[in-house]
Amino acid sequence: MKERMYRISAFAERVMLELLRDPLSYVFALGFPLVMLIVMTLLSESIPPEAEMTVFRIDNLAPAVYVFGLSFLMLFTALLVSKDRTEAFLVRLYISPMSRADFLLGYTIPVLILAVLQGSVTMATAFGIAAFTGDSLNPAGMAAVLAVSVPAALLFIGFGLLFGVLFSDKTAPPLSSVVISLSSFLGGMWMDLSHMSGVLVMLCDLLPFRHAVDAGRMALAMSFDGIGMHLAVVSAWTAAVYLLAIPAFRKKL
Amino acid sequence: MSEKSEIAIRADGLVKRFGAFTAVDGVSFDVERGTLFSLLGVNGAGKTTTIRLLTGLLRPDGGHAEICGYPAGSTDAARLIGLSPQETSTAGNLTVRENLIMTAKIYGFHDAAARADNIIGRLGMGEFAGRKSKHLSGGLRRRLSIGMGIVTEPKVLFLDEPTLGLDVIARRELWTFLEELKKSVTVVLTTHYMEEAEALSDKIAVMANGAVKASGTLAELRTVSGSAAGERLENVFLRLAEGGERR
Repeated sequence: MKERMYRISAFAERVMLELLRDPLSYVFALGFPLVMLIVMTLLSESIPPEAEMTVFRIDNLAPAVYVFGLSFLMLFTALLVSKDRTEAFLVRLYISPMSRADFLLGYTIPVLILAVLQGSVTMATAFGIAAFTGDSLNPAGMAAVLAVSVPAALLFIGFGLLFGVLFSDKTAPPLSSVVISLSSFLGGMWMDLSHMSGVLVMLCDLLPFRHAVDAGRMALAMSFDGIGMHLAVVSAWTAAVYLLAIPAFRKKL
Repeated sequence: MSEKSEIAIRADGLVKRFGAFTAVDGVSFDVERGTLFSLLGVNGAGKTTTIRLLTGLLRPDGGHAEICGYPAGSTDAARLIGLSPQETSTAGNLTVRENLIMTAKIYGFHDAAARADNIIGRLGMGEFAGRKSKHLSGGLRRRLSIGMGIVTEPKVLFLDEPTLGLDVIARRELWTFLEELKKSVTVVLTTHYMEEAEALSDKIAVMANGAVKASGTLAELRTVSGSAAGERLENVFLRLAEGGERR
């Protein structure tokens, strides 16, 4: 077990170095959520109170932007895995004593660390914005957002692994963009789904994105009644995506 | 050495099919320890598929292969082999030294840094040790790729077209390195360059249509093909591989 962890950590270290040395990681994973928070807050400030539009209020916005930012980790993961396949880097390592599960862990752990870092930056920025606009955010709630968003982070990483192993580095990014757009529109990030009904809302309820955002919002408000259902839906999707990724790794590589 | 056999590689009737297409069709040969064995053939002859079967990356549909007496694809065999694939296959954002250390660690070696420094010295890449591999020239990346194949001190090293796309100087430098390397490890080489195989190989197998048409020393291949003594390998190869592109 100790030897296995040694090998996984060696591979994870390589993935982390690749991420840290890629400027896109900083732009998309850290810079983009920050800019989104500022721009959306400015947008919120220009909406008259009588419109009763609360979706851009910082306590609703911060968890949504975090989940949106997580979706970009799917893109990084997909690119990394597909490039490793295209350039035969994985072929070299596949004759090593590492198992397919070891590789999945080696990819997942560093991206998950980046996700937590991304969440910390997002929450710290939101805290600063809240102080500036006269609102307040509970630091315990902010920490809770990071904790309850772990399944969502794993969900997007899992999608990235799946796309990366199934598709080339030319095809995986556009597919990731489709999921990013879906998560944005069907996650209730920029619109209040509670005022809507019909097929669209049913679809939102079936997919994991809304639940990821709602879990984050509830955690920030320190209101945990019913959060288990949201986490269960996200976790079920995450498990399903990983269960697909494992045989895909076996078959394609 | 704990390995069971004096034969480094034994391929016995290997068959690999992809749907209706038979990529490898009953390939058999032995490779003795401490020799350099070349697999020659035109594109699609089955060289890379054979390498993938021997390294355990693919499972055969028929026949079997052994590495130092262990079944190809087994954990015991995996610990004894190194591979430098056709593509450069290094981690682009990692330095030369980091690439080597990572590879050694993945094989479970705790003296990874010392091994990496040793290989950097053998590769003559000291001045490039801190350079990211994506910033290396094609020749240096190939050299690093081979270095990643030998940092684990394998008993058998598979080199799949290691000089593909290199200029004459880089190719000659790599030849010199391979000459040195074959003193310490059994090497299986696939290449399209006949002069390369002629200069480096102890034994050669000529493949066509997924099968081995002939194998042996260059002198033996000349005899089998009915070539004159002193005939260049290219002419011998053409005679042996005749019809190899028919499928």
